[in-house]
Amino acid sequence: MKDMIKITLSLVAIFIAAAIIMGVTYKLTSPIRFYAEKKEKEEALKEMAPDAKDPIAVAGTWTVHSKSYEYYAATTDKKPVGYIASTAGKGYSSFILMLVSIDTGLKVKEIKILHHGETPGLGDQVEEKSFLGQFTGKTLNQIVLVKTETKENIQAISGATISSRAVTNGVKDAVQTLVDKYGSGIAQAAANEVKK
Amino acid sequence: MTTDKVNYGTIIKNGIFGENPVFRLALSLCPAVAVTSGVKNGFLMGVAVLFVMTMVNGTVSLLRNFINPKVRIPSYMFIIATWVTVTDLVMAAYARDVYKQMGLYIMLIVAFAIVLSRAEMFASKNKLIPSMVDGAAMGMGFLLALVLLGIFREALGKGSLWGYKFVETKPLLIMIMPTGGFFAMGLMMGWLNWIDRKFFGGTGGGGGGH
Repeated sequence: MKDMIKITLSLVAIFIAAAIIMGVTYKLTSPIRFYAEKKEKEEALKEMAPDAKDPIAVAGTWTVHSKSYEYYAATTDKKPVGYIASTAGKGYSSFILMLVSIDTGLKVKEIKILHHGETPGLGDQVEEKSFLGQFTGKTLNQIVLVKTETKENIQAISGATISSRAVTNGVKDAVQTLVDKYGSGIAQAAANEVKK
Repeated sequence: MTTDKVNYGTIIKNGIFGENPVFRLALSLCPAVAVTSGVKNGFLMGVAVLFVMTMVNGTVSLLRNFINPKVRIPSYMFIIATWVTVTDLVMAAYARDVYKQMGLYIMLIVAFAIVLSRAEMFASKNKLIPSMVDGAAMGMGFLLALVLLGIFREALGKGSLWGYKFVETKPLLIMIMPTGGFFAMGLMMGWLNWIDRKFFGGTGGGGGGH
């Protein structure tokens, strides 16, 4: 009985000490981390729309995987030059968070992966240019994952099909949202342009 | 082993060759298979393990007289978890560039058999400095093993090293899949044992682990 209390106490002491160390570290580092992450996100947004002169503002939110994500309109002198949406895809071991930008012709311009926890060496290959580059210039209907060599669609990475599918689905959802929100407006503007 | 004179050379040699975590003790094979599909992945994982092992061994050694022997394993687990979490948090705040590269690996270390094994086998019986040297040497051995496996697998499986392609032919894709990891591990282990027997008159090694 006495032994039991002794053992319990010694374990509890270690647990408490560990909890305090972790808590204090978190408290000290989290504001710096938060600030750095915010700055990184702003920089990433700027990179997604380099031709936008005005500051990129949040235009609204949309929901995927029961979490809400923001989308942005990139403008120069109040005229839209592109649209950006943050999005996520459910990968093998994590949600892959991404930014997707489309131009005013509703074609994908660029994909940027912000965060993921996929298997190193397999799933994390989705970050490579050779995979993400495939999306550039694709329209909504072309964003389909296939396992064979393709120029029309998106080719999955062998050994990382689930992660590839996650990215593809995330991008598709985001583009779908942007097209739904802005597609008719853009078509209208184009029609007006033709009339003039 | 608690003599005053400690032979650091032996400890270091032991960690890198005699009891190499992957090829000799056959511990932590799952991470070794998982991350060695590329040299870079293996190297970063190795560096992370090297750091965590050194710190954990040091802490366990310092606390070795306070830890109740009956609950030493959960205590070690907590020390490991604390170090891993602290490393992760500090890196995420102060070394963003490194964190982006290594963040994926840090959290995995919590469950590494080799870290727990060295805490139990060495650090709990030895003084601070030898324990830290042992942790560093074992980490070094792990790092070298991962880099060797990484070179072997990436060269065959992707035709590249550290992400730089050197052959343009279609590579042996199976080598970067988990299956290829086991092939590479077995071949390497056998090859090193063969060298050991043939040239150094050793008995070879390779235990069982996970």
